[in-house]
This record gives sequence, C-alpha cells and structure tokens, in this order.
Amino acid sequence: MFAPDTHPSNEALDALITKYPETSGCLFQVYNDILYAQSWTDVRVVDLGLLLRGAVKGRRDTDTDTVYVVPCALAESLSYAWLQNAFKALEDPAEIYLGISADDSSIVYYKLSAGIVKPPV
Amino acid sequence: MPSGRNRGQFKGGGKRNENNRIYSNPLPVLFHDVSPRPVRSLLSFVGLSLAKIESPECEGLFDPVTRSVWVINPQDSTILWRRGFFGKGDLSRSEPSWLARQKSQRKSTHLTSEEVRERRRLERKQFKLDRAQAIAAVAAEAEAIFAAEGRVITPALSGPSIPSAATWKPTRVPEEQPNTEAPIAPEPVAEDEDELEDLEHLQLTLSEAFFLIWNFDCLTVWDSVTHELMSVESLWNTFQQVHLQPPIPDAPLQPLQLDNPFLINYMAYQHYRALGWVVRGGLKFCVDYLLYKRGPVFAHAEFALVICPVYEDPADQKSSRTNLQNATPFSWTWLSTINRVNTQVQKTLVLVYVTIPSKSRVPVDALHTPAVLSYFSVREVVVRRFIPSRMRD
Repeated sequence: MFAPDTHPSNEALDALITKYPETSGCLFQVYNDILYAQSWTDVRVVDLGLLLRGAVKGRRDTDTDTVYVVPCALAESLSYAWLQNAFKALEDPAEIYLGISADDSSIVYYKLSAGIVKPPV
Repeated sequence: MPSGRNRGQFKGGGKRNENNRIYSNPLPVLFHDVSPRPVRSLLSFVGLSLAKIESPECEGLFDPVTRSVWVINPQDSTILWRRGFFGKGDLSRSEPSWLARQKSQRKSTHLTSEEVRERRRLERKQFKLDRAQAIAAVAAEAEAIFAAEGRVITPALSGPSIPSAATWKPTRVPEEQPNTEAPIAPEPVAEDEDELEDLEHLQLTLSEAFFLIWNFDCLTVWDSVTHELMSVESLWNTFQQVHLQPPIPDAPLQPLQLDNPFLINYMAYQHYRALGWVVRGGLKFCVDYLLYKRGPVFAHAEFALVICPVYEDPADQKSSRTNLQNATPFSWTWLSTINRVNTQVQKTLVLVYVTIPSKSRVPVDALHTPAVLSYFSVREVVVRRFIPSRMRD
C-alpha cells in the first residue's frame, strides 16, 4: 500500500495536479480506477485547457477504439456549455465518459453521446 | 432426500455464521472485563462497569488532493473495515479486495463481490441478446407468413418462445476455457505473484476520520506532505480549510465559515453513527448517505439520506461564498427522480435538514473547536410516494 507522496501514479499526474489544483482530486481517483481497477490499456492523460482539468484516455479491454473519460467532482455543477466544451476540447468524439467521483473514492461513470443513440438491444 | 447439514462450508447458515464471527465488533474499540461474574452483574445493575477499553492504534495519512485520510497499513485497514465498516478500498466496491482480485485472476478461487457482479452483468448481457434474437425471429416469422399467405400477425414481445428474466437460464460454458485461453501466460505470472504490490489503500472520508479520532481516539493522522503528526485541533481546522480553497501548497488560510460542507456532513454523519447506524456514501443511488442496520455484508441499506442544509438566517445565505448543494429547495421533478431511483431498490428516502445557525448567535472563534456543532440541529423527513388508488389503508 502506498502513501500519497509515493504513489506510482504521481509520476504521470504531477504536472496536471500542479497546473489544475482544483480538479486534481477527481483526476487522481479516476486515473487510478481506470488504470488499476478497470484495467484499461494504453492509459494516458490529456490536458483539457478549456475545462481547466486533465482527462484520461485509454482503451477498454474488449474494444480497440480510444475512449475519453472526463473526471469531475460531485460538488461541481455542470452546464450544457461545459459539456459542449468537453466535446470540443477532445476534438468531437462520438461519445465521452464522465467520471463523477466522491470523497469516499466511489466513482460513477456516465456515457455521453453527441446526438441520439439507439439502444443496442 | 438426505438433509444437508454440512452442505458446504459457505452455503446458507455457514456464510452467515462466518460473517457474524468476522464482523462481531460494531466499533474499533474492544471492551475487556476480567472481573468475576457476580461482581460484573452487581455493578451492571447500578449501571457501572470495570471493563477496560482496548483501542487499536491505527495510523492514517491526510491527503489534501483527494480530501481524505488514507490508511495504508493492511492490519489497520482490516480492523477499521471489520469493526464498524469504516472506509472504502479505493480500487474496490467496499472492502479493499484489489489484491485478492488480481491473485484470483491468475487462479480461480473464492470470488470477491466485484467478480460476482461482473458475472451477473455478463449473464444479463447474454440474456438481452437472446431475448433480442428471439423477438427478431418471431418478427421474421410474421413477415414470412404475410409474404406467403397474406395473413397479418402482430409479432408478440412476450410469450412462450421469448425468454423473460424469470425463465432464462445461462447456458453453461465449459470451465476449461478461462484457463486455456488466458491472455497471461502462467509461468511468468507465478513469479510476479510474490512481487505483486498492493496498489490500493483504505480511504476514509474526513467525517469518518474525525469521528474515529474524536470519539474513540483510535486513529492518529499524519500529514502526508510535511510528515508531521496532526493534533485533533489542527485536524478540525484543516478539514474545514480544504473545502475553502484548492490544495495549493502554502496557500493563505481562509476565515472559517459556518456553512462549510465539512461541518454539515460531519453533523449528519455523527448524528446517525451515534444512533448506531452504519453510514456509508450513497453516490450510486443519487443520495448523500446510506444507512445500514448492521453493515453492508448483512443486508442492503434500508434508508437513503439526502442532506438539505437550511440557513437559520437567510441573509447569511446571500452573503455566503460557498455554493452548498441542496441549500435551495429543489424541484418536484428532482425529488421524484431521487425517490423513484430509491424505491426501485427498496430504500426509503429520508430528507435530512441540517440547520446552520445564524452568524449573530455564534461567537466568532467557536468554529475552531467541535463545540460549534452544538449550535447545529438535525431533523428528518421521510418521503414516501402515495398512490391513492392503491393505498387504501
């Protein structure tokens, strides 16, 4: 078990934690969950200047497409303009995931698609 | 039919007894009474006890980035989880089980709750595919009949040929598959297992950590940046400061406010814990807290709490710099949504009104100690949807 200052994810996240301190907690939690608990591959962080936070991108084990996860904290209020900026900052992907994190380290993910999507089955 | 008294070690009563044994202590502190029985019963008649309190000395690290206290010692983490369900593994659903899951990926042993959940989700996905196929087959049949005979049949969406949740059974996949097709080769993994480091820790919210420190004195917290021991007083002030400013090193201290989210959350947490409930986070059900009677391993939560802070003096709310959630009355649609979500999972919604005292009533320096909590009050309102046509009693 690692302490906060010796955690292995610090290397990848330190730059963004220093640059965007307000959203550093949710980025840290979402990054660890995606990399270690959900076991995605090719996990990288992306700087989203428009939203003043870092985002996580990677591939789920069953797919080959890169997917983006934008972290946010439960206490934040999001507006439609914020969501539009998220899509714009990530260069208009078909869908993004929103990772909402709480203080107790629970995370819920929401999938947001640009436009109407028919249910799969 | 032979009755199975020893059907299996972990079936039915066995698992329950195992849980009763492991989770038998509701609090981290233990009470040892070695005095003889008659003395014990005589004293308890008068309301006294000679029991000695044994407090586990757990250590935590305060992390301002995640606004939480980390417990990185495996023994402490087990004690805090098993005696009172404090904390959550940051890579797990509840109990820190990440290492166990990694090890069991390499060999199939006793399943953790996350693995049970994955299996359930895969089965449900398969059921949905089967059902969609059956519906498509019925529709194609109706088309064929129309093309052949001109007879119009509306394809049914339920019926004997279409699986429903109650009747569908997963087809048994042969067990060898996971082992032979495993992407990780077994030989190199055998060496890795000994060196597999536990990347998880037990994460305590600020409310849980302060509750343990102030009421039971069983946790000592160190600052993860300066590596200094934090006193109870400095913890009380720091836990409020983290909500007033982002975690920038050496930032100037902000003046403490009465409507600090930490105060409100702690007030509600302390209130229900003191009444004997196990209080855990409720993010997955759109609420703030969930109340368990004994703990998550015994039964599902009965109550879902939404905290609604109320300002005693409306002028304080206007002049406040904090944007408190649910401090303004929320709309009926939002209330209905939360109620609906929780009714689906058989939980009762409780609105918890925490009253924030007006600034005029509270002395300025009261915020620096927990004594300020005596000015707050907690009231609850239980919400249940009433359907006049169905509920006639």
